[in-house]
Amino acid sequence: MADQGGSQHGIARTSRVRTDEQRQRDLDRIAKYRDLEGQMRALADAGDYARPDLLALTSRLLRLNPEYYTIWNARRRCLISGSFSRPSPGSSCLTACSSTSRTATTAASSTTSSSSSSAATPPAPASQTAGTTGTTTENPAAAEQNTSQPQPDPADAEARDLATIQSELSFTIPLLLESPKCYWIWSYRQWILEQAISRLAPSRARRVWEEELGLASKMLGKDRRNFHAWGYRRHLVARLESPDLAGSSLTEPEFAYTDKMIATDLSNFSAWHRRSRLIPRLLEERGADDEARRAFFDYELTQIGEALNVGPEDQSLWYYHQFLISSLTTPATHPAAAMTSSLSQQERVEYLSREIAEIKELLDDYGDVKLVYEALFEYTRALCEMEGREATVGERGDLERWLGRLRKLDPMRRGRWEDLRRECGLSAE
Amino acid sequence: MSQTFDQLPEELQLATSAHVKYIQSLDTRKDEYDYWLTEHLRLNGLYWGLTALHLLGRPDALPRAETIDFVLSCQHDSGGFGAAPGHDAHLLSTVSAVQILATVDAFDDLETRGKGKARVGEYIANLQNRETGTFAGDEWGEEDTRFLYGALNALSLLGLLDLVDVDKAVSHVAACANFDGGYGVSPGAESHAGQIFTCVAALTIAGRQDLIDKERLGRWLSERQIAGGGLNGRPEKKEDVCYSWWVLSSLEMIGKTHWIDRDQLVGFILRCQDPERGGIADRPGDMVDVWHTVFGLTGLSLLKYPGLQPVDEVYCMPKSTTARVLGR
Repeated sequence: MADQGGSQHGIARTSRVRTDEQRQRDLDRIAKYRDLEGQMRALADAGDYARPDLLALTSRLLRLNPEYYTIWNARRRCLISGSFSRPSPGSSCLTACSSTSRTATTAASSTTSSSSSSAATPPAPASQTAGTTGTTTENPAAAEQNTSQPQPDPADAEARDLATIQSELSFTIPLLLESPKCYWIWSYRQWILEQAISRLAPSRARRVWEEELGLASKMLGKDRRNFHAWGYRRHLVARLESPDLAGSSLTEPEFAYTDKMIATDLSNFSAWHRRSRLIPRLLEERGADDEARRAFFDYELTQIGEALNVGPEDQSLWYYHQFLISSLTTPATHPAAAMTSSLSQQERVEYLSREIAEIKELLDDYGDVKLVYEALFEYTRALCEMEGREATVGERGDLERWLGRLRKLDPMRRGRWEDLRRECGLSAE
Repeated sequence: MSQTFDQLPEELQLATSAHVKYIQSLDTRKDEYDYWLTEHLRLNGLYWGLTALHLLGRPDALPRAETIDFVLSCQHDSGGFGAAPGHDAHLLSTVSAVQILATVDAFDDLETRGKGKARVGEYIANLQNRETGTFAGDEWGEEDTRFLYGALNALSLLGLLDLVDVDKAVSHVAACANFDGGYGVSPGAESHAGQIFTCVAALTIAGRQDLIDKERLGRWLSERQIAGGGLNGRPEKKEDVCYSWWVLSSLEMIGKTHWIDRDQLVGFILRCQDPERGGIADRPGDMVDVWHTVFGLTGLSLLKYPGLQPVDEVYCMPKSTTARVLGR
């Protein structure tokens, strides 16, 4: 159905004919890969997930192919059976947690963290040599070895779990940097973080999660629009705010983060979107009164107006502008209405009229930018609707003229312009 | 419309036989490293290839018996399917398995030689989060509107939609809606064309299109077409053939396909073909793959490109199949 993994993106087409040498190289790589896979399956089929060599095999395979979800699952089983100090029913999986009330692992793991710690720590053999992976200098291989030491004391057990969690987090970083759109890596990392909640003292777990925000920022620094990273960030914030992590609101710093991202790149629709979502909570938490809300709204309108003055071709900016305007035009249930709920009908009309006038001024410099006409058309209709009246003769003339410009400047969407014309009862050109 | 296409230069004709050969060759490439690296997508790949062949009017180009055998060999006792034998069960491969079996009319084989429809339905139903209504991809708990759509798609094909709480699923989709009319991967996420397809199709299967703000959504979707004719998936991003499906099918479901320029999109998709060796790429001149091949063809089918079989905009399967299975 829908999974983009494994598809080719942006790779230039080359001749598909390989030289004998290239073909041989492929065959060698296949043999090596399949051999690893065969070893891994043999151990997994035997069901002994506590074996550290099985964990080491998953590392090697995942470095070759981070899209191989079955191997990520095997790795989770390895940690549950071996590396972690105790198997936790909440840490395994949905089917193990419950068959009646289905909840996500995130919820399940937080309720089962008090489960018996008397489950014997499996005496994981410490004999595994990192040398078998052929990557002795790499931190994760070494960490795998460290974390498999038997540690019976509870404090030691927690230290060992922390080491395992940190080792897993560092193992996935290079993979994530190489495949920043790989769903499986993000979801594995999220699972590891949940382990921190169910296995570590709250303050330690919280530190792990807080540090993770740094990773989200790093990934967004590399690709400002990566929706995996934005989603991950939202998840981190929601969990950091939750009672599971003894949290409190992060709305202010998150809002400041959108400021920073927008200052770096005005065109970042993802950041504008995030901002739009944070505003209602921000105003609520600031205890903003009517005046403060209105001042906030004015500030946002000014900011976006200035941005549009230099970049009226940018859809991202117009979407945010529409978001602000919709707080004037839509019922109070709209999330944006948090800014404008105290405004009277007359004030709303004044705001919208002023915006329309300012956008008209954009036409002096940007007479051939279709988004300007589109905004004028939409907002003028919204104004009539708000006032519960038909368009005046002058407005009808404007609407017809703007629609004519839209048809000319943007013939790709002529079907839409034609629908709009009919809907508004405007004359055909 | 067909007159317009006849006037296209020769390089903009659909290379039908090359595409058929390309898809047929996919399972013979066992000496290529990529063949093994993409095994976790094998069942999805079979669905993509099979659907493409059906749209190209060559439903028999893959051997039916072997197709069914392979699909059934991926099934677990739980009822779920893995991507290939030895791979864990996952919702994405389970949906592909159901779609393939529906397309080759082999639900009977699932009953007699597989674990049966009921077990598949149970596997999928168990992945629903009964509190929020959304679905996980597997027992490890990743949630996404892709999985919600996949579950409704497969369950409705199996006639087992009543195993899940459809109303809750619908509420979850509604919670993913944004002010711009689009939908994201989860509540709070920005609108994304792929996710819009999954949400709009899920609402369509549930009979709840009334929840969609069609004007705003249609506007957002139509703005995805950019210079050159291709579609992007989000504002200010590059175009990519796969959005010829995600964006276009969504427009089709809300009755606004005419809000973009059909001829220019047809031209863009055809320029992404490899006319000699077959297959379609994300953009002109790039490497082809079966994923972009099927979504290029489903896009062309929605655009009524001459000679292609009609595709169902909700299920991404041949219309003849959904008509037979769903009786519509």
